[in-house]
Amino acid sequence: MDEKRITRKQFAAAITVSLLSPLLRLLPQTAVGLAGKGAWLSPLPALIPVLLLALILESLRRHMRPGEGMGGLLRRWLGPVMGRVVPALYAAWFLFYGGFILRSGAERLVSTVYASSGQGLFAAVTIALCLTVTLGQMRAAARTAVILRAVLLGALAVVIVLSVSNMDADRLAPFSWQDAASAVPGALPLASVCGVAACFSFLSGYVEKPKNGRWLWGTHLLLLALGGVICASVMSVFGPALTARLTYPFFIMIRSISLGDMVPRIEAVVIAVWVGADFMLVAMLLRCAHEALRPVFGLPDPEGLPMGSLRGGRFLLWLEAGAVFACSFLFDLPPWQLKLWSDRYIPLGNDIMLYGGFTLLWLATIPKRKKEKSKS
Amino acid sequence: MRRLLLLLYVWALALCLSGCGMSLASDRHDAEKLLLIQTMGLDREDEHLVMSVSSGLGPDKEPALVMSAEAGGIEDAIARLQNYSPENQLFYAHVQYLLLGERSADQDLDSVIQWVDRSPTLRMDTDMLVVKGSARDAVVDASEQATDITQRLASLERQARSTGWTINTLRQVAAALAEGDGALCLAVQTAPSEGRVFTDEQRSDAVVPAGYAVLDQRGLVRFLSPEASLGAEVLTGGPSGLLVTVDGCTMELLDGEAEVTGRFSDGGAPEGINVRCTVRTGVLEKPLRDAPSPEALDAALSDTVRSWVSQALACAQEDRCDFLGLRQAALKNAPDKEALDQAWRELFPSLPITVTVDGRVDRSYDLAE
Repeated sequence: MDEKRITRKQFAAAITVSLLSPLLRLLPQTAVGLAGKGAWLSPLPALIPVLLLALILESLRRHMRPGEGMGGLLRRWLGPVMGRVVPALYAAWFLFYGGFILRSGAERLVSTVYASSGQGLFAAVTIALCLTVTLGQMRAAARTAVILRAVLLGALAVVIVLSVSNMDADRLAPFSWQDAASAVPGALPLASVCGVAACFSFLSGYVEKPKNGRWLWGTHLLLLALGGVICASVMSVFGPALTARLTYPFFIMIRSISLGDMVPRIEAVVIAVWVGADFMLVAMLLRCAHEALRPVFGLPDPEGLPMGSLRGGRFLLWLEAGAVFACSFLFDLPPWQLKLWSDRYIPLGNDIMLYGGFTLLWLATIPKRKKEKSKS
Repeated sequence: MRRLLLLLYVWALALCLSGCGMSLASDRHDAEKLLLIQTMGLDREDEHLVMSVSSGLGPDKEPALVMSAEAGGIEDAIARLQNYSPENQLFYAHVQYLLLGERSADQDLDSVIQWVDRSPTLRMDTDMLVVKGSARDAVVDASEQATDITQRLASLERQARSTGWTINTLRQVAAALAEGDGALCLAVQTAPSEGRVFTDEQRSDAVVPAGYAVLDQRGLVRFLSPEASLGAEVLTGGPSGLLVTVDGCTMELLDGEAEVTGRFSDGGAPEGINVRCTVRTGVLEKPLRDAPSPEALDAALSDTVRSWVSQALACAQEDRCDFLGLRQAALKNAPDKEALDQAWRELFPSLPITVTVDGRVDRSYDLAE
């Protein structure tokens, strides 16, 4: 295999780890707020848009040339003007979204553990770490994702197992058909989170060729299942109504866990581990933005050069990291406004850019794809 | 060399995020200066909130640090308490018991829930008790040299576990209130420790259980009578260990369960609620003469428990406060759950409730002699 390429499993790990950050930001309270008691069933209706997007992405991926990502495909298909504007728009959105994740991750850490600390410090340290990873090789980032996935999913499993004694299945019951029907609006935040996986299509050039078009389905199914498990476990601890009112119900649930008198609290460790998800998502968004801009400016592949080198357009990575850090200051907002951005505007932006954008692209390029297919 | 430098760079960044020592985080805690607060009491006095805290006995039996401050709100009170102890940093991550005075339980519960939600230290699973009277009295006045309120409450918790009383946590109360139901909270009161010999300097009050307080979104609804509290305990499923005297026989409730079902017409309209309780007791003491027959004792036990349960149910209907989880239970077999859920608040106070109790007395082999 090409040394620059990463395996499908590593790529799936990077997506899973990255998406755990928005998953726990939106779930369970946003889903419960929309779906009430039926929130834990929301993954079922969310399957439809998520798998449709996966099919669209797979359909587009088939037309990518070896080593080419979504940025290259857009540049090739949309012509000299739109082929530059559209990837640049995506890059701008990734940097803006990265700034939001940086700030919201810092806010979560500060409000749940370090009450009197400033968020700027955490944002600065995280972006410095993300830049380090982005300047390095993609394979190193992917291997880190594999380790982080094991750590994060392990932490999640430990938290859920240790919370079982506080769970009460009666809080999810009695369950009526009306409750089941109410699960549909709860699918919106879940689908929005899983849609973020579409950003990673800009990194497709680094991933080994999949055997079939369903290779990402497993990642989506895992994330949706995690969403359902998180909703069900938190709701069975707090009940649907209290879950919708609490700020970070999952992390409040962790606060109640203790391992006897020896380890009375574990939340600081778990919440700190969760910074890994923010770190991976911001690092990947930086890289996605770079991959979107590379064909726009006709830059070479940044891999393989020393970390401190600015050649081959690598200075752009520094500028992008600076832009993410600057964007994080746009979100220096009161907590209620940040929550509004988190619950409404950011998911809406993601849905427009990822679901809307890629569906439009897919529809607009039907003739082109038919032509390419008949040629081949 | 490059890898070593990279490793050092990552370590330096990670160290900045740690919570102690050379961390750049401004709220790092020096472990030696932390004073762990273990019991917290809240009272409402007109426009002011009174917060009383106790640190619990030190590892070498140093006396507990007990303080009380009056302020406009919870955070304000915390800041004042910190001023009273400048040499230590008061640390609330290990609070085990939250005591709410009568007026505070009535007016401040919502603020307390919001505050714990936002607090990075306090736990939702803190045991919560309502004090008949003032929480300050319980925290401050109940302290003596050899023990303190935390020890007393820990002892009460052990006692409650063996005698069947349930101590609910703030989470359980908040969850019930958020669903629009009522919640039960163990009530305590301070009482002179008459049974124990003290010197005058050591004399202090004891904290003893005083039935249950009923809370709902309106605040403190009422304190249940001892009999209604026992009925509530039977209905909420944790009566084991309770002592009951029937026909001169002292018995221990070994276990019991309550089955609540809705009664519906053929058209699905709610007609009432059926409550069926099963209790099993073991005889501990019997009168030397004229001991009742086992059958008579079974019947008397059933009557007694039925009276408790009926009193608890009557309180719930009278107060329009479903603190016994009847709505949840009735919904389980409701033909139209949505309709019943929406109409419950209106229907509940007038729904006829049928109570049947099946009491069985064990260890009664010597009664038949």
